[in-house]
Amino acid sequence: MTRTSAPGVRVDDLTVVYKTPAGELPALGGVSLSLAPGTITGIVGESGSGKSTLALSLLNAVQSPGRIKNGTVEIDGLGNIVELKGEDLRKARGRQVGYVFQAAQNSLNPLKTVGKQLLDLGRSHDFDDLPALLKDARSLLGRMGLDGGRVLDSYQHELSGGMRQRVGIMLALVLNAHLVVLDEPTTALDMITQAAILRIVREVHHERGLTTLIVTHDMGVAAEVTDSLAVMYGGRVVEHGPTTEVLGAPRHPYTKGLIRAIPRLSGDIDGATALPGRPPTLGTIPLQGCVFRERCPMRIAVCDTVDPVPVTRDARTVACHAVGRLATPVVPKEYA
Amino acid sequence: MTVVEGMPPTTVTLRRNFWRGVGRVMRRKPSRMVGVGIVLVFVFMGIFGPLLYPNPLPRDDNALYASPSWAHPFGTDFEGTDVLALVVTGTRYVLLAGLTTAVITVALGTVIGLLAGFHRGRWDTVLMRLTDLQLTIPGLPLLLVLSTVWKFTSPIEMGVVLGLLGWGGIARAVRSQSLSLRERGFIEAAKGLGLSTRHIIGRELLPSMAPYIAMNMLIAVTGAIYAQVGLFFLGVLPFDANNWGVMLNLSVFGGGALSSTAALPYLLAPLLAILLLTLGIVLVVDAMDEIFNPRLREE
Amino acid sequence: MKTVVRRLSGHLARGLAMIWVVTTLSFVIIRNIPGDPVRGQYEKLIEQGMSPDAAERATAALYGFLPKGSLWSQYVDYLNGLIHGNLGQSLSTPGTGVATIIGSAAKWTILPVLGGTLLSFLLGVTLGVYAAVKRSGKLGDALSISGSLLHGVPQYVIALLVVAVFSTLWPILPSGGPVDIMFTPGFNGPYIASLIQHATLPVLTYALASYGGWILAMKSSVATVLGDDFIMAAELRGMSRGILFRYIARNAILPLFTILALSLGMLFGGAIFIESIFNYPGLGLLLVNSIGARDYALMGGTFLVLTVAIVIANIAADLLYAVIDPRVRKGETA
Repeated sequence: MTRTSAPGVRVDDLTVVYKTPAGELPALGGVSLSLAPGTITGIVGESGSGKSTLALSLLNAVQSPGRIKNGTVEIDGLGNIVELKGEDLRKARGRQVGYVFQAAQNSLNPLKTVGKQLLDLGRSHDFDDLPALLKDARSLLGRMGLDGGRVLDSYQHELSGGMRQRVGIMLALVLNAHLVVLDEPTTALDMITQAAILRIVREVHHERGLTTLIVTHDMGVAAEVTDSLAVMYGGRVVEHGPTTEVLGAPRHPYTKGLIRAIPRLSGDIDGATALPGRPPTLGTIPLQGCVFRERCPMRIAVCDTVDPVPVTRDARTVACHAVGRLATPVVPKEYA
Repeated sequence: MTVVEGMPPTTVTLRRNFWRGVGRVMRRKPSRMVGVGIVLVFVFMGIFGPLLYPNPLPRDDNALYASPSWAHPFGTDFEGTDVLALVVTGTRYVLLAGLTTAVITVALGTVIGLLAGFHRGRWDTVLMRLTDLQLTIPGLPLLLVLSTVWKFTSPIEMGVVLGLLGWGGIARAVRSQSLSLRERGFIEAAKGLGLSTRHIIGRELLPSMAPYIAMNMLIAVTGAIYAQVGLFFLGVLPFDANNWGVMLNLSVFGGGALSSTAALPYLLAPLLAILLLTLGIVLVVDAMDEIFNPRLREE
Repeated sequence: MKTVVRRLSGHLARGLAMIWVVTTLSFVIIRNIPGDPVRGQYEKLIEQGMSPDAAERATAALYGFLPKGSLWSQYVDYLNGLIHGNLGQSLSTPGTGVATIIGSAAKWTILPVLGGTLLSFLLGVTLGVYAAVKRSGKLGDALSISGSLLHGVPQYVIALLVVAVFSTLWPILPSGGPVDIMFTPGFNGPYIASLIQHATLPVLTYALASYGGWILAMKSSVATVLGDDFIMAAELRGMSRGILFRYIARNAILPLFTILALSLGMLFGGAIFIESIFNYPGLGLLLVNSIGARDYALMGGTFLVLTVAIVIANIAADLLYAVIDPRVRKGETA
């Protein structure tokens, strides 16, 4: 029952909590986000903003001591993955939703060749035609500029970081999953490899007709490959919209701050201004009011008490009291 | 990322957190308190045991292999000596030898492990070959062979020999610890700050390894206790020492404790002492393991 | 292949070095035993009316070196004898070579030790996985504690308890000697049944004595592997439970092979206690008895053979490791 076309994904009011000695703390506080079929969506945010937790939620794979407390993740052709359990969930993972790990992670069994692990994967998902699977993998690896036959015969320790990452992408795609989640796919890779990987991701995305989600903390990566961009802060999606618009005309004060903090290659380094303060950690996320207010230059009285509701206007969603008040979004000169 | 607030308050908080952690670990499994209690009782017996009884221990010729009674909770031995008194007074030799071993293993193992891990290169190779040799040499057979020339009448002697035969494990552990600290750039950073080697080893490396070493020390103590009791049990050492192993030997090979029940209490008392001491140490190590090794901490 | 050869030759060199250290130690100890047994033997033979020449030869046959000349030349003689496989003659069993006695004792040690180790390895590794997965459960806790206790208790205590329970209090199995003397040795039913009966308790003791260590080692190894990224990756790729389990088990067992080598060595040491208690005529009992009988040539020979056994176990474990771990096989450091 694999889909042959890109699925849409709708995350609704998703709350993920982590059990700590201080009680259950929210890592995601009621996130709603939809991925349009066939698009590449980026999630950016500082570490601890909950972006990886959100990515894992798409596979219902939030790691203990965390758990999904509330909300739904509807994937076309699969239903609400939060409610899937046992074998159904296992078969959805890999087959319908591919997941690519951080490059720095060792995502392969060190004791088996890539090819053997591929066969394990095929058997796990009841593939009858294993030779075809191998052929598919070889051609995918070839597409990514690798010698497929050689890579399949290699152990993890014989591959470089960039090669491992490409193998990871191959394993996420080879079962024909049409929803692919990439968690920091280029972190810890050098610039050349990073560019190559991003190019591959984009090409394969179009070629195979995928819905893709890329988690990154690198605005440059987001700008380069994504169609739409979600900005996360303190377990909330604070802004979401088409990438060019979000980056070109940010509305949420946090997005503005983030963009202002990017140093330009040309121009004065002083032009980049770091956001004041520190991002909240699990224990310091305010339980009431806007999560960003402590660092916000546009803070108003209502921010202390009421969590702003995301408001969607002309394809852009923003969760901010201050922005919601203004009839028309005004970009203050200093940020332009 | 950390805000510099001056050292003293940070260390104080750390220490307080540490003791709070100890408290929590202890409370979560009351058995660990029992472990600490057992170890303390044995230490008490080791220190004050011999003072509680007259020397030599009184014999009751009318009660050879007497059954347990109020006067003799574990009965008497072949000479009519109270078995409990033998166990209590025997604790000192056992613990003293164990402690000596622990001091020597820890001192030798730490120094050799640090030297190897810190200097690497040729030093490392030589020291690790030595360690491998020490680890693979069959310790107990060697002890037996040694017993033909050495009688181990004093617990200190026994402890020294056991220590010389047992430092390998700690040396290897300390080396790999210092190597991993090294890999994390710990030592390079300290060197970059212009700190002296002595300072780095004494102030930076050792404290971070102390818990590890302490745990290994406890394990070394148990190992030493077993080895010496075992040697006496085998009967290759003179019987005049007051050691649980002598009791085991006399009850098994002399009293026939394994074929008749008369000498059974005589056999069971030292066995029970060993088991209790083991239990105590295992529980303490279990607690230490969780205090120092957060990875094993359950969510 | 090349690296395996290099590793092997390194091991051999180290093994030989250790054997040399052990033999030298034996020599020094035998020379330093109070009363000098070598010279004593020589003088005793002279007193019995033997010619100095004959006495010299008889003593040399016994200890492998002559009781005269410089210490150095005695030492060289001794080593020379060993290289030619001459371990000397036994004093307590006159006329028998030490090598022969050791050879016949070795089978009583090797088979029970291997049997017990295999049993405890399989049991401990299986239960260790369970203890790691169910770390927070009651049964997992109980398994860990039982492992720690059994691991912590010395072998002779376990052996004594086993005898007390199965031989004295509830006598269902024999605990003395290797076989009932009433049966004629050979390949016949009653004799083999008796052999097995007598071996059961020693093997059980070996197994109990090492099982705790395996549980603990496997538990911590599995806990480490469970935290590895590739396990989560396999899970998120939807690998089936069976495959996932195999991934975990194989990676977790790997480090245990180094422990296997050391533990075999320890078990040979432990054989001393277990064989003494069960009166089982293996190498351990031989060593104890040779000391009791002041049969120093036999003592030195047994000590040497125990050492060689450990060296061999080490090499075997290392080769096994190389077969299983591709990183070692290809000669790269992980």
